[in-house]
Amino acid sequence: MNLAAILAAIIFLVSLALIFTETLNRTIVGVAGAVLMVLLGRILGFYSESDAVAAIDFNTLGLLLGMMILVALLEPTGFFQYLAVWAGRMSKGKPVRLLILLGTVTTLVSMFLDNVTTVVLIAPVTILISEILGINPAPLLMAEAILSDTGGVATLVGDPPNMLIGSAAGLSFLDFILYAMPVVLVSWLVALLLLRYLFRRELAVRPKKIKAVLQLNPSEALNDPKTAFRVLIVLGAAILFFFIEHLLEISPAFVALSAAALALVWVRPDVKQTLGRIEWSVLVFFAALFVMVGGLQASGALTAVIRLIEHADSLSPAFFGVLIIWIVAGLSAVVDNVPITIAMIPVILGLGADGIPTAPLWWALAFGAGFGGNGTIIGSTANIVVATLSEKTHAPITAKLWNKRGLPVMLATCAAASLLYILAYPLYLR
Amino acid sequence: MIIRDCMKSNVVSIPSTTTILEAAAVFVKRRVGILPVVDESGKPIGVIRIGDLLTLELPDFVHLVQDLDFVHDFGAVETTRPDRQLLLQPVTTLMKPIQAIEETSGLLRAYARMLQDNLYDLPVVDASGKLVGIVSRVDIGAAVLSLWSAKEKR
Repeated sequence: MNLAAILAAIIFLVSLALIFTETLNRTIVGVAGAVLMVLLGRILGFYSESDAVAAIDFNTLGLLLGMMILVALLEPTGFFQYLAVWAGRMSKGKPVRLLILLGTVTTLVSMFLDNVTTVVLIAPVTILISEILGINPAPLLMAEAILSDTGGVATLVGDPPNMLIGSAAGLSFLDFILYAMPVVLVSWLVALLLLRYLFRRELAVRPKKIKAVLQLNPSEALNDPKTAFRVLIVLGAAILFFFIEHLLEISPAFVALSAAALALVWVRPDVKQTLGRIEWSVLVFFAALFVMVGGLQASGALTAVIRLIEHADSLSPAFFGVLIIWIVAGLSAVVDNVPITIAMIPVILGLGADGIPTAPLWWALAFGAGFGGNGTIIGSTANIVVATLSEKTHAPITAKLWNKRGLPVMLATCAAASLLYILAYPLYLR
Repeated sequence: MIIRDCMKSNVVSIPSTTTILEAAAVFVKRRVGILPVVDESGKPIGVIRIGDLLTLELPDFVHLVQDLDFVHDFGAVETTRPDRQLLLQPVTTLMKPIQAIEETSGLLRAYARMLQDNLYDLPVVDASGKLVGIVSRVDIGAAVLSLWSAKEKR
């Protein structure tokens, strides 16, 4: 490795370490790292400013922004609360049924909408329903975070790593439905059954006040049905276009931004408030990571990693994919899965350029990045959200509890995904 | 008119060794909304409000949900009592820092302080910092409004 590659690798690894230890906010780390990378590239002459701009994947950013605008419009309507209250009522106060219903609702919504927002809005209602019933909310909250993170892997727009992978590998919405969803469905069921088993004691408690839950009125939670209706129509149309996006030769980003524009025109909200709900820090973080990893690639550091992997590729290709699932999952459990994914993408692209069949590896990356986050309390933003909210209840979710109940779920889902990956390997080769 | 003229000078206060359960009994018996907590020398070291005790009954989750219209029955929340063990802790675990007003303060200055800090009662201290009374929004409000009719009579 030359000097440029070593220095670029140091910048990237130090940034990852800072994000991991949470000594600095991840967006601040990203911006500083990106600027340092460009500075290094200019001094040593391997990375120019225009290279840095070209490294930003505007497809992913556009898709994220478009979906964020739709969520920002739907958020204040009470639609998410409506679903949670509906699930609470349908459960008739039975804890296991409540777990299944809330888990399913959260998963279905987060397959198409940002799962952090979904969890942020559904978790408080979950706590409320649990308090009314007099049961422990922890199993429900953990199930919501874990199942929504797991289910999100099923679609192109379900979680950010999928958007990144889809854009880099040219995988369409339909590809995800065909290749990822079946595996996710099995893994999701494994996760649900395991959660049901691990929390069997908490879920066996007979609620004291079932009648109170039957009196919950979902329609009273829906503050603004008119706006909710409009945004859902637009969202439905967007999903329809996602399915045929490759036939029309348009990008998912274009579909998402068109939907956002249409919804904005139809709803005509207070723009300042709506745009205020968008997580700009996430978009900036993504852009910064693209610039950083672009520099890493230009420096030749990733080529060194690719050479290293090629030497190890005497193992069977299917087993190599399984190895990727577990390595990426392990990393995603302790550090943000976005930088891991963004760094893995050029590596896989490089392997592809050297003639190694990479089509299956993209799915391995998606499963690893998606399921890995279930393992620890800091593994995903949704986990952090439910843990923080649970501090306001009688039974806070601790890191220890997560290691006892969440880690087995991560291991089981990764095992299920690995098994299916090996079985379906010929299909993944296409 | 200054605060000294409208305050209540018989302040109910509790020693810092009081348990939460004992403090609750004082709230019930004296029907007050705030209790200054004093050390052995009678110096106020903090206050406890009736709402601080009620948070043990109604946990924070209410603030998490923007709108509670859809809940018609609080179910188990209505009947769940706090842990006995928790109630035997000293009241200092729930105590908040004291925000007092000098007895020489003007009425509207004190009222503005209450509005800003979202308070309903203010302990009153003299120049040496000793607790000499307590004043509520109603005390100040009534005193201010009484000046209106006083002017009309003139």
